[in-house]
Amino acid sequence: MSTQNQNGYLLLYRSNEWYKALSSEELQKVASENKAWIDRLTAQGKATPGHALERKGATVFGKNGRHVSDGPFAESKEAIGGYLLLDVETIEEALAIAQSCPSLAYGTSIEVRPVADECPLDVRARELAREEQLANA
Amino acid sequence: MLLFRGTDLRKGLSPEELQKVSEKWMTWFRRLTEQGKAVAGQPLERDGKIVSGKDRVVSDGPFAESKEAIGGYFLLDIATMDEAVAIARECPGLPYGIRVEVRPVAGECPIAAQARTEAQFAQV
Repeated sequence: MSTQNQNGYLLLYRSNEWYKALSSEELQKVASENKAWIDRLTAQGKATPGHALERKGATVFGKNGRHVSDGPFAESKEAIGGYLLLDVETIEEALAIAQSCPSLAYGTSIEVRPVADECPLDVRARELAREEQLANA
Repeated sequence: MLLFRGTDLRKGLSPEELQKVSEKWMTWFRRLTEQGKAVAGQPLERDGKIVSGKDRVVSDGPFAESKEAIGGYFLLDIATMDEAVAIARECPGLPYGIRVEVRPVAGECPIAAQARTEAQFAQV
């Protein structure tokens, strides 16, 4: 894996609606912890404002998008609950930031993904073309 | 927000076909941007890590050649779910098994929203 990436990293929060089981006090605590965490990263220029996603939506699939299905975006522990875009250059720093996320203590997991410089399909097309050339050489 | 799921469409396609899908995708994104309907969008590398649990353990994720893995996203500036689904239906990856997850962006953090609701109940 590349440790250096000029394009930054995307954090994807994966969790169910764990916060619905918390007491009012716990909720206030974790909400303010989260806000402080994001405010600090933003002030340091390490994150650009991300978004939470509503626990609803649809999935479109099949040729010409003929199928549309609902959820599950609420119950699944794998569901994406939001994202944050990090403007840092190494996976180590991105991981350290992910590890400092207050929601981890409540069962959220965080996917840390390098943002690609160009479409991976183009990269793969070039690789394949090269392989074909070698095979024909 | 559109989340593109499926990172295994590259299998079985020729370089020319791959390039064609990629070009269609870029044209699609450019048009949505010019129309003011897309405000951001990025492809993701096929590697990455997952951080989880109280112990903040780091593990490798299966992001390559997976049906569920997220390969990229578009952030749309439109007002209705119907329009978002209509845009998702135009995705050039659909014939190759890509699934497009369409999710409304929340106005505020759901944790903060839940905290406010609980606080209101507590006062009653």
